[in-house]
Amino acid sequence: MFEVERIRVSYGAAPAISEVSIRVGAGELACVVGPNGAGKTTLINAIAGLHPIEAGALRMDGRDLSRLPRHAFCGEGIAIVPEGRRLFAGMSVRENLELGSYRRAARARRGASLERVCDVFPVLRERLEQAAGTLSGGEQQMLAIGRALMAQPRLLLLDEPSLGLAPAVVLAVFDVIREINASGVAVLLVEQNAALALELAARAYVLEEGRIAAEGRPAELLARPHIRRAYLG
Amino acid sequence: MALPSLTLLGQSLLSGLFIGALYGLLGLGLSLSWGMLRQINLAHFALAFLGAYLTYQLAGAGINPLATLAVIVPCFFALGALMHWLLARFSVSALVTFGLTAIIEALIQWIWTADFRRMESGYSDVKFRVGALYVALPELLTLAMALALSLAVWAWLRHTYTGKAMRAIAEDAPIAAAFGVDVHGLSLLLSGLCAAFAGVAGLSLALSYTLAPGQIYAWLGVVFAAVMLGGLGNPLGPLVAGIVIGVSEALTMAFTAPAWAPLVSFSLLIVVLLARPGRI
Repeated sequence: MFEVERIRVSYGAAPAISEVSIRVGAGELACVVGPNGAGKTTLINAIAGLHPIEAGALRMDGRDLSRLPRHAFCGEGIAIVPEGRRLFAGMSVRENLELGSYRRAARARRGASLERVCDVFPVLRERLEQAAGTLSGGEQQMLAIGRALMAQPRLLLLDEPSLGLAPAVVLAVFDVIREINASGVAVLLVEQNAALALELAARAYVLEEGRIAAEGRPAELLARPHIRRAYLG
Repeated sequence: MALPSLTLLGQSLLSGLFIGALYGLLGLGLSLSWGMLRQINLAHFALAFLGAYLTYQLAGAGINPLATLAVIVPCFFALGALMHWLLARFSVSALVTFGLTAIIEALIQWIWTADFRRMESGYSDVKFRVGALYVALPELLTLAMALALSLAVWAWLRHTYTGKAMRAIAEDAPIAAAFGVDVHGLSLLLSGLCAAFAGVAGLSLALSYTLAPGQIYAWLGVVFAAVMLGGLGNPLGPLVAGIVIGVSEALTMAFTAPAWAPLVSFSLLIVVLLARPGRI
C-alpha cells in the first residue's frame, strides 16, 4: 500500500538519511528501530510531509506524494503522532481532537470519530474541556494518538510513543496500538524500545547512520546475533 | 495639589475610555500578527495613517466617512495579504516593515504634504450630553468599532473551524499542516485581516484627530504597551489593556499634569512584566 523509495533527506549540507526504502502493506504493522540519531524521526517526519525530501519518492497506492504541499499528506490518509507529542497545548482536549479531523472528509465523520476515540481512551472523555497542556504525560500521549485517529488515517505514524512514560502506561499505549492495527489501520512505529516494537511488528527495519542496515520479519532479525546484542542488550 | 471636580473626573474617565478604545483598535492587528504569525509588523501604524488620509480624501469628495470603509477594507485586506506574501516569499527580516513605514510616510508627505489635515464631516462636531458629561460621536464610533471587531475576532478564533486552525498554527504550524491546515493560505487571510483592521483604525484617527505624517510614530510606544499588556495574539487583550492604560493616563492628567501621562503606560507595562514574566 505505502512505499518509501530510496529517499534522501538533508538538514543543511549533511544528509540525515539517504537511500532509505521501506514498505508498509495495507493493515500491516511495521517498525523502524535503531540507535539515537540514526534518522528515525527524520524518516517519519518526511513520510508525514513535515520535511521535504530531496531525492526518491513516497508512494501511496502507487501515487507519488513527494511533490504535494505539506497540508495535502493528511488527505492521502497519513496521520502522525509526533515525537514529544506536540499537542496544541493551550487549546482544549476537544479542540485538539477537532483539529485532528480538520480536513473536510474527516470533518463529516467527526462525531463518530470522537465517540470512538473516547471509547478507546475513556480518560479523555472526562477531560474534553481541559487545556491539553494540563494533562499528564500518559494522557497527552493518548490525546496525540486520539488526534491522529480523528483524521481517519489508513497509515498511522507513531514516533517514540513510549518516550517519557511509566512502564505500566507504555504497556497500555502499546495495547491500544495493537487494537488500532487490528481494526485495519496500517501502522509504522518508530521506537527506541526495540524489544516492545519487535514483539508487535510484522515487519521490521533497522536504521543505522541514516541507512537501512537490515530488514525482515522480527523473528529473522532477532536470530542475527549482532542485532540481538545491539538492540536487546 | 487641588482635587479635580467630579465632573472633570467623570469627563477624564470617559476620555480615557475612548482613547483606550483607539489604542485597542490600533493594537488589534498588531497583536494578532505578532502573536499568531510571529510577525512584528511595524508598518501597521503607517497603514493606519494611510487609511486615515484615504478616508480624509474620500470624505473630501463628499463620501460619508463610514461608507469609505467599503473601499478601504477590501483594498487594505489585499495589501496586507500581498505584504505577507512578499515577506514569506523572500523570507526577509521584520525590520523591512520599518523601512516600509518610512516609505509610506514619504508617500503620504508627497501626496498630502506635511501640513496638518482635518477631515470635515457631519460626525466631527456631534456631541451627546449625558448628565453633566459630554460624549463625542467619533469617539463613540471608535469604541463601538473596537468592541465589535475584537469580539468578532474572539468568536471567530473560539468557535469556528478556521479560527481554531488559526490558533493551532500559532502553537505549532508544521503539525497543524500535517493535519490538513493550509498554513500559508490562512496566514495570508490573517495578514489581510490585520491590515484591514489598520484601515478601520485609520477611519477612527481621521474622525477624531488632525492628521500629519509625523504623527505615525506618536502612537507606537503606547500601542505596543497595550499589545504586550493584553497578551500577544489575544483578540480582547489590546482593547482591555488599552482602556486600562487610557483611563490611568487620563486620571494622571486630571490629578497631576499631562506631561506625566506617558509614564503611566510604561510603568504599568514594567509592573505587569515583572509580576507575570514569561507571558510574552
